[in-house]
Amino acid sequence: MKILIAGAGEVGYELGKVLSEEHHDVTILDQRQTCLQRVIQNLDVLTVEGNATSPHSLVEGGAKSADLMIAVTSVDEVNIIASMMAKRLGVNKVIARVRNDELSQSDSPLSPSELGIDVLIHPEEAAASEIHLLVKRASASDIVSLADDRLQLVGLRIEQGSKVVDQPLEDLASEFADLQSRVVAISRRGGTIIPKGSSVLKANDHAFFVTKTEHLKRLIAVTGHDNKALRRVMIAGGSDVGRLLAKKMCEDKQKWQIKLIEPDEEVAIRIANSNRDILVLNGDPTDPNLLVTEGIQEMDAFISVTDDEESNIISCLMAKHLEVKKTVALVSKTQYVPLSQTIGIDAIVNVKASASDEIHRQIRQGMMLTLKALQGIKAEIIEVVAGKNCKMLDVPIRDLSLPEGAVLGGILHDGNVEIAVGESIIRKGDRVIILALPRAIEKVDQLF
Amino acid sequence: MIELQCYNKSRPRIDIQLVSGILGGLIFFLGSSLILPAIIALIYGESSWLAFLITAAGAMILGAGFFWAFRPREELRMREAFLIVTLAWFIGSLVGAFPFVISGALESYTDAVFEAMSGLSTTGATILGGVTSDGIQNPAIEDLDNSLLFWRSLLHWLGGMGIIVLTLALLPLLGIGGMELYQAEYSGSTSDKLTPRIQETAFLLWTVYIGLTGAQFLMLWAHPSMDWFDAINHAFSTLATGGFSNLNDSVAGFDSVYIEVIITIFMFLAGINFAMHFRLFSGDVKSFINNREIRFYTVITLLFVVGVSGGLWLIENQSFGDALRYGSFQVVSIITTTGFGSYDYALWMPFTSFLLFVLFFTGGCAGSTGGGIKMIRLMIIAKNIGREFKQIIHPQAVLPVRVGQRVIEAPILKTILGFFMVYFLIFAVGALIMSLLGYDFMSAMGASIASLGNIGPAWGDFGPTDNYAEIPYFGKWVLLILMMIGRLELFTVLVIFTPWFWNN
Repeated sequence: MKILIAGAGEVGYELGKVLSEEHHDVTILDQRQTCLQRVIQNLDVLTVEGNATSPHSLVEGGAKSADLMIAVTSVDEVNIIASMMAKRLGVNKVIARVRNDELSQSDSPLSPSELGIDVLIHPEEAAASEIHLLVKRASASDIVSLADDRLQLVGLRIEQGSKVVDQPLEDLASEFADLQSRVVAISRRGGTIIPKGSSVLKANDHAFFVTKTEHLKRLIAVTGHDNKALRRVMIAGGSDVGRLLAKKMCEDKQKWQIKLIEPDEEVAIRIANSNRDILVLNGDPTDPNLLVTEGIQEMDAFISVTDDEESNIISCLMAKHLEVKKTVALVSKTQYVPLSQTIGIDAIVNVKASASDEIHRQIRQGMMLTLKALQGIKAEIIEVVAGKNCKMLDVPIRDLSLPEGAVLGGILHDGNVEIAVGESIIRKGDRVIILALPRAIEKVDQLF
Repeated sequence: MIELQCYNKSRPRIDIQLVSGILGGLIFFLGSSLILPAIIALIYGESSWLAFLITAAGAMILGAGFFWAFRPREELRMREAFLIVTLAWFIGSLVGAFPFVISGALESYTDAVFEAMSGLSTTGATILGGVTSDGIQNPAIEDLDNSLLFWRSLLHWLGGMGIIVLTLALLPLLGIGGMELYQAEYSGSTSDKLTPRIQETAFLLWTVYIGLTGAQFLMLWAHPSMDWFDAINHAFSTLATGGFSNLNDSVAGFDSVYIEVIITIFMFLAGINFAMHFRLFSGDVKSFINNREIRFYTVITLLFVVGVSGGLWLIENQSFGDALRYGSFQVVSIITTTGFGSYDYALWMPFTSFLLFVLFFTGGCAGSTGGGIKMIRLMIIAKNIGREFKQIIHPQAVLPVRVGQRVIEAPILKTILGFFMVYFLIFAVGALIMSLLGYDFMSAMGASIASLGNIGPAWGDFGPTDNYAEIPYFGKWVLLILMMIGRLELFTVLVIFTPWFWNN
């Protein structure tokens, strides 16, 4: 696929990296020489120096023959104009990052498609939604809704002393026969294990389950977590993610008690003025005195989303030390992700990963309905529709030879969801949920 | 207000000619309104018609002369606007006093000016029926010609008319008067300026004002113990939240529950922002009901009605009906700064009296005809106090003060706190001067706040059944200046006496 990326900033760079590794022809367009220099040195992509709003530069970047353009410069307006031009120049599909949410609202007088934009993405918003879900479901590290919200993929840490520790999965399945769930991946000390029936869960493992939405609460209890709802939340940092998160939580039916700490006075005032229900504090979110004065030890959750990822990790550690139940840190360096889980931070959210997830999903969106990279393990969760060319129809799963590194999670058949077991059968038109390691994704794609 | 093409370098900082021209127009208008009481005099066959015609002719000729000589050619600027507003009320009172003197009803010109300013500032304090400090017996209210009584009420009504336009159209442009708070309170519309042009705004607001006056007139007239003359006087006085009555005993003189209820309702309505009335009548019920100031005003009124009526019922052992009747009337009368009396509240026991005394420091909504501190300011100050407490617990918290969805910005907050300080300072100075003239604690404080808050009747020597006649001339001038300062939202008048007003 020929892909043109406008903007070589953080997201552009990350996307260029991922997409070029997946053997797409990527061209990156930017007017800043220094940014392009970094791209040239590290990535296997073409670069074009020029303005994204210049038709000449766009053509030079291959807009006339490109299948996809991704506009991710830092300026909304540039992205919109570049999208309009690219669409006119004949790009098949246009994805643009627009931070202003006016366009995406349903009552907007202009729809994004009228501006030539097929898909709007808002990475900060996506990250905020992710954190929001995590805080709502206190004990989970990852939550992905599948099959129209009827199945959930949930990442849970296996606590010492829970009933599931040190038992083979086969035995567990018979012990908890009425709890419909299936372990699809285990992350242990940085490595990823695709489990078999004989695999054993150990304490401090990070296990990923596919389960029916209605069984989620029980599953969480079984793995040794109390499923107590959180109420008091402290958000460190009034960045876009923090602001959007606070806004989402205020709109929730559930009553949150939110404190938000922002070091910049003007930003703090702006947030305080626009949100009636949160207490905005103007101060340094890494200052222990402030955190203690404002009662961090009584908080149910601590979410650190400042622009400085090292302080996010440090303040989350501090919160964990003061026995805050749930800590979430915004971290963009992928190298930090395994580390953070080892040292006890409950969940990591990554803006760039959210953005590239989103774009990734859009690119693959032929067959696949959902594609989501999981934190801490090198696997992706895929939701696909079994077409008539599918090579696995009408055979019980235990007789199928799935590619190495892929595991079936659930099947949605005629509106009924079922967790995949040995006897399950895939029929034409079913939606199938699969967890796969990156090397297996392509093979899975071919099977369906 | 300053348009670039009008900018004229040779124009003086304060264009006295322009000020004189506009004031001339206003005096002409006041003069022409004097024809109405002259007609009343002719209807009742009173000799005072001549006094009105002389004053009318003088004012109209003088006003027209000034207006013609200094026809306003340029845009009004801020300083000139302050000067015009202040002088309009002051000169208006000086002119409005003439009929009382020329007709021979009052011997002292000071007394006449006091009565006229009390009318024009919608205060309702009177010098009628008492003996002045130099031994002149002023006639009782009912001994006065009907035409003069009508003139008193008309002064109220004109004052109310002026104040509506002033607070809703002009003062917001000058950044005072509490209405700046309303801008952008409702999503979509930019302000309570109903139309961009002051003239049109004024016309719409006056339509509401005249409409309400007419409605009340008809409802009062329907009662057998009121003739059309009583009805029109009380309607004028109520809508302006003034308080002049054409009876010695004020509203108590009718001794009718029906009349008291009608007057209570219309006093309450007159205490609400007239721009909100306009919205209500044009079908926008939602923003009327959702208006925070109106809600606050209603809640405060109800609380005090419960307190005062409860006090009268349970402690003073009045019957429940009487307690509710007198309590609610008196609370609304004072909270709206009207000052009608249906009962001598000075005789009530300390608890109820004290509740009423607290009400002297309230006032209606911004943009109403009521005077005083006003509900919106009290509400914001209360919220600000709450915020200060929260700030002590959370020293680093950013805590905006909100009215509805709107955040009150720091500069507006400062203006309101400033207003509050200055208000109490002036009240204290007024009370001090009154005590210097020999009045006791409650009388001095009462006279000062009743004048500054445009209420009228006060406490002690100036209770609802007493009058202001006995005060020395100096004291009367002090009080009438207080009325003017209070009516014109303090800063409009005070700024003129600062050096910065006259210097560059």
